[in-house]
Amino acid sequence: MEMLLQALSSVLTLESFLTVLVGVTLGLFIGSLPGLTATMALAVLLPFTFSMEALQGLIALGAVYMGSIYGGAFTAILINTPGTPSSIATTFDGYPMAKQGRAYEALAGATMASVVGGVVGVIFLLLLAPPLARLAVAFGPAEMFWVAMLGLTLVASLSSGSLLKGLLAGCIGMMLSTIGVSPVGGETRFTFGYPPLQGGIELIVALIGLFVIPELLTMAAEGRGAIPSGGELRKRELSIGRIARQVFGRPANLIRSCLIGQLVAIIPGAGGNVTSLVAYNEARRFSKDPKSFGKGNLEGVVASESSNNVMVAGSMIPLLTLGIPGAPPDAIILGVLLLHGLRPGLDLFTETGVLTNGFILSMGLAALMLLPIGLLGGRIIHRAVIRTPYYFLVPSIAMVTILGTFALRNSIVDVGIMLILGTAGYFLRLIGIHAAPIVLGLILGGIAEQGYVQTMLAAVADPVPWLRLLQNPLSKILAGLVLVGAATALIPIWLERSGRLARVDQEPNAPGDQKEET
Amino acid sequence: MILRLNTDVVAGLVGLAFAALLWLPHGSMGRLSILFPRAVLVILVLLSVVLIIKGFIRPGERRVEITGSPRRLMVVAIGFFVWWIAINHIGFLVSTVVAFYALTWYLASVEGPVSWHRLLRWSPAILLLVGVFYLTFKEVLNIRLPAGFLI
Repeated sequence: MEMLLQALSSVLTLESFLTVLVGVTLGLFIGSLPGLTATMALAVLLPFTFSMEALQGLIALGAVYMGSIYGGAFTAILINTPGTPSSIATTFDGYPMAKQGRAYEALAGATMASVVGGVVGVIFLLLLAPPLARLAVAFGPAEMFWVAMLGLTLVASLSSGSLLKGLLAGCIGMMLSTIGVSPVGGETRFTFGYPPLQGGIELIVALIGLFVIPELLTMAAEGRGAIPSGGELRKRELSIGRIARQVFGRPANLIRSCLIGQLVAIIPGAGGNVTSLVAYNEARRFSKDPKSFGKGNLEGVVASESSNNVMVAGSMIPLLTLGIPGAPPDAIILGVLLLHGLRPGLDLFTETGVLTNGFILSMGLAALMLLPIGLLGGRIIHRAVIRTPYYFLVPSIAMVTILGTFALRNSIVDVGIMLILGTAGYFLRLIGIHAAPIVLGLILGGIAEQGYVQTMLAAVADPVPWLRLLQNPLSKILAGLVLVGAATALIPIWLERSGRLARVDQEPNAPGDQKEET
Repeated sequence: MILRLNTDVVAGLVGLAFAALLWLPHGSMGRLSILFPRAVLVILVLLSVVLIIKGFIRPGERRVEITGSPRRLMVVAIGFFVWWIAINHIGFLVSTVVAFYALTWYLASVEGPVSWHRLLRWSPAILLLVGVFYLTFKEVLNIRLPAGFLI
């Protein structure tokens, strides 16, 4: 406790406040540019922290991390382009809200959810780091396979119309994830003798292509901006209190999303993109009005943004306790820790407890700082997107996406892949194959393959190798969750198609209707 | 523009074509490398066949609508690819300035003819935007942007 108070006093200084303010603002700016990820933001700013004291350096990186994950929501909502992969699920409802003229409502909702997520993540990290870290090591290849399968049940909710086409899109995404060097065999696959494809299709490249290019082509063809000019801030929308009531009026959604965010965050390799997708899926599943998801439901934005910001502090649990980065940006934080002679483990919480707790508390401060910066920044960026004529907006967004894609691996081939996928994505969307399930397959394909192949390899002497996927109690629980997830996604579709749902809907209304008449 | 198309059959054919494209070069792969892709390819082919059959028995959407001007859509799509090729050969800065002007002029001309004076009035904004991003990526982020034979 004394250590925590010491840490608090070291964070509550003007220097720390300024570091967090600058870090969050920079992170927000970088995160909102398509192609520039939180990992890249941290990598770019890393050299600036070398001259700082250990705590200040860690505070700066924590603030940039928090800001960049949140910044991805801006472009996700305003131009249907996830700034970072963690914001994919934010586009599902955020952009439809923007198109309905409710952009600021979505931005403010995302801000509040991010603040809650960030603070909850820090509390989890402070209180539950050691027991949750033990849970993290229980996830072996078989469990990771089931985590990926659990994420794939989301295809049913992302299919928008045809489940078969959604599954087809998911399979296309998974096959795209297999291009390049095999994660287990180490062989080069599906490169057609073209060496630049050995690196595979980078997730962000596919993400930018599949989400941004179809939107740009539509804007160009229709001769309109990203969001209608009628989307100017209305007085009713300006009421932060009304938006806060909407966000906090349904605490179950927030709590559930934060818990999912925390659980997924501690699994090394899962990352914020899986976190937000799973939280979005569960928000839809538990909602009283699941049909409104994907059409502009604030609950979807809240679920995605709260869970991906829990991940920022949550993924530090395996990092600080076991030295395993929970998400790619954590690897850079690990580097900074090692640079200052700090080794992950129990010593970090005892011998250098003031420093570690100071770093954790500064992330809480960064989360709180998102509120003023986000609400102000949201209003400015929203106004800029609406007032920019579409003939400026299209080339501007195209230039930023080309730059962002190129900057990922200094590869002009990546820009070509992005354009090919984007153009194909536009035409595939016309025939009902949407970008979201393709991207989902691409994200989860790699995780599923590694889990599946490693399990099969370990079970090579077993009479029935597949049973190894269900050998551990945790994998049995996860497999059960996959079954429950698939059933709850498929049963409503089946009920609706067979007409049973309509009958159930009509029955409870009938007596009420009669009463009104009498 | 509205096209009459059985989207289920077309989606199934797209799935089969994609599966065939990836199935053909699989012959030389080792067991560990093909294990997962083979499983996904089998599911992909099954789903495609089911979609094609469904398209004949109980078709879903039978028309496809391209909103806006298909000509503008194609011109901008081709323009993006020309821009990409130009970046590699001419260099990022010059090709982006040219592409930015060309796209702005083409898209703005939807609302009426764009005079040279108007285009010149936009120049400071265009040059500032391209310049700021170019310098940020090149100097701050240390990204080696393609220089081509110009810059």
